[in-house]
Amino acid sequence: MTTQKITDTPIEFAEDIISDVKNSKEDGVLKCVQCGMCTSTCPAARHSDYNPRDIIERVLDGDISILKDDNIWNCFYCYTCHSVCPVGNSVCEVNQILKQFAISKGIGYDKLYEYMGFADSYFTAAIGAIPEIFFEDIANDVPGWWEFRQNLGEIRDELELEPPLMPSKEVIGEVSKILTITGFKDRIDKIRASQEEKNEGDS
Amino acid sequence: MKEIPDKNILLFRSCLVSVEYPGVESSTKFVFDKLGINYAISEKQTCCTGLGHYSDVFDQVSTSAIGARNFRIAKELERPNLVMMCATCYAINKKSVKLLNKKDDLREKINKLFDENGLAHLKYEKGDLKPTENIFHVVDILYNKIDEIPDKIKYDLSGYTIATHHGCHYCKVHYEDTIGGVRDPRIMDDLIEACGCKTIGWYDHKRSTCGTGFRQRYSNRELSFSATADKMNAIDDEDVDILVHLCPNCHIQFDRYQHLIGEREGRKFKAIHLNITQFIALAMGGDLDKVIGQKAHTVPINSIIKELKEVEK
Repeated sequence: MTTQKITDTPIEFAEDIISDVKNSKEDGVLKCVQCGMCTSTCPAARHSDYNPRDIIERVLDGDISILKDDNIWNCFYCYTCHSVCPVGNSVCEVNQILKQFAISKGIGYDKLYEYMGFADSYFTAAIGAIPEIFFEDIANDVPGWWEFRQNLGEIRDELELEPPLMPSKEVIGEVSKILTITGFKDRIDKIRASQEEKNEGDS
Repeated sequence: MKEIPDKNILLFRSCLVSVEYPGVESSTKFVFDKLGINYAISEKQTCCTGLGHYSDVFDQVSTSAIGARNFRIAKELERPNLVMMCATCYAINKKSVKLLNKKDDLREKINKLFDENGLAHLKYEKGDLKPTENIFHVVDILYNKIDEIPDKIKYDLSGYTIATHHGCHYCKVHYEDTIGGVRDPRIMDDLIEACGCKTIGWYDHKRSTCGTGFRQRYSNRELSFSATADKMNAIDDEDVDILVHLCPNCHIQFDRYQHLIGEREGRKFKAIHLNITQFIALAMGGDLDKVIGQKAHTVPINSIIKELKEVEK
């Protein structure tokens, strides 16, 4: 058996997670006792190779190859692990931070392509919406859904609700300015450019 | 129990409620009006970033900067109590308030960006809102009025087998603020009992996710539907007629995809899906078309509720 001293442990990776803006669990990740409660209650672990306990083990081992591991994209963000962890860690949050690390290194852009429609609609119209790229699937899967969406205005009217909101120019201006100065637009432009490059490569 | 407001409320518009189940918005208004809850809606408020945030497209700084703008709108209207119809809006906004109050570097970064770019009017000052005292889900507001519900019930729904699905982003994210339990969540069971009905209470998978998983539903469907099937099978094993929800994400997953998952499982699932506000509004006499918004539902409400019987006073 090898003995690992605390000073030997490459915890820079864990420290990067602790100092990330998203982290709300202080040094919770360092308190993990590898009990596996997270994995035993996780829906993604039940139905795929995703393993939250293993994620923390790899983080504490300083194994940054995890950023390229496709399994991290299987988390449901259901926060079950977060709500049962006996030491106050949150693998769900760590997972979200790992993905932001991955994206900032240009890894995993392909996982975001399908959601560019959300970014576009928020940036240009200040509306959060299911990306249109999924509409065909939804219309095929859900009988009557497309017709319902076409009649949405009438249905809202019957409920004495305003028509589906179109934000004013002033609101859109403010929102797109915010998303420009936070760096969101640059990030989306980069992801989009990589998508176009990939599409050209495929054709 | 924490103090819950019944006034100075900004009812936070949800993008999914608006376009998928508008009856949740009209039912919320109907029930709030019956219970004398003072609220307003703002056209300036924008989406919490929901699917963008949890598909990892939005970074936390952008989500919290958008949050800061919405929080400023609430403050300006002197309606600092944000009340959400969607569990994800609830979780995201509560987290942004916590982070903006606690992380000085995040708040200062966003405020500096606002200052330098002509948006100084949107700046967030530490403590502008408080996560526990100002950020609520509709169920919290209703729970505060639970003793006033029984007097306002018109229809008897007690003949149906009823179960609850408490959304993860209400129960599990900010568990320290969750009313009615996290391990066996009961806030909706209690509200339904106030309508003169019994629920089945605990069932296998009661606290499990609906399976939406944000990107999983659209990009990783087999995984998403496997998780949903766990819960749908458990609900059908209990012969449930009505499953009651508090989040439009879960509502979509169950109502829109029930037939598909039924085919996958070789079972014919029968449950109809109502938001807790739709359930209470119906029990209080709300019209199925003009208040509940039944036309938006994929599993027809009248496949289970064929007639409404008035309660005996």
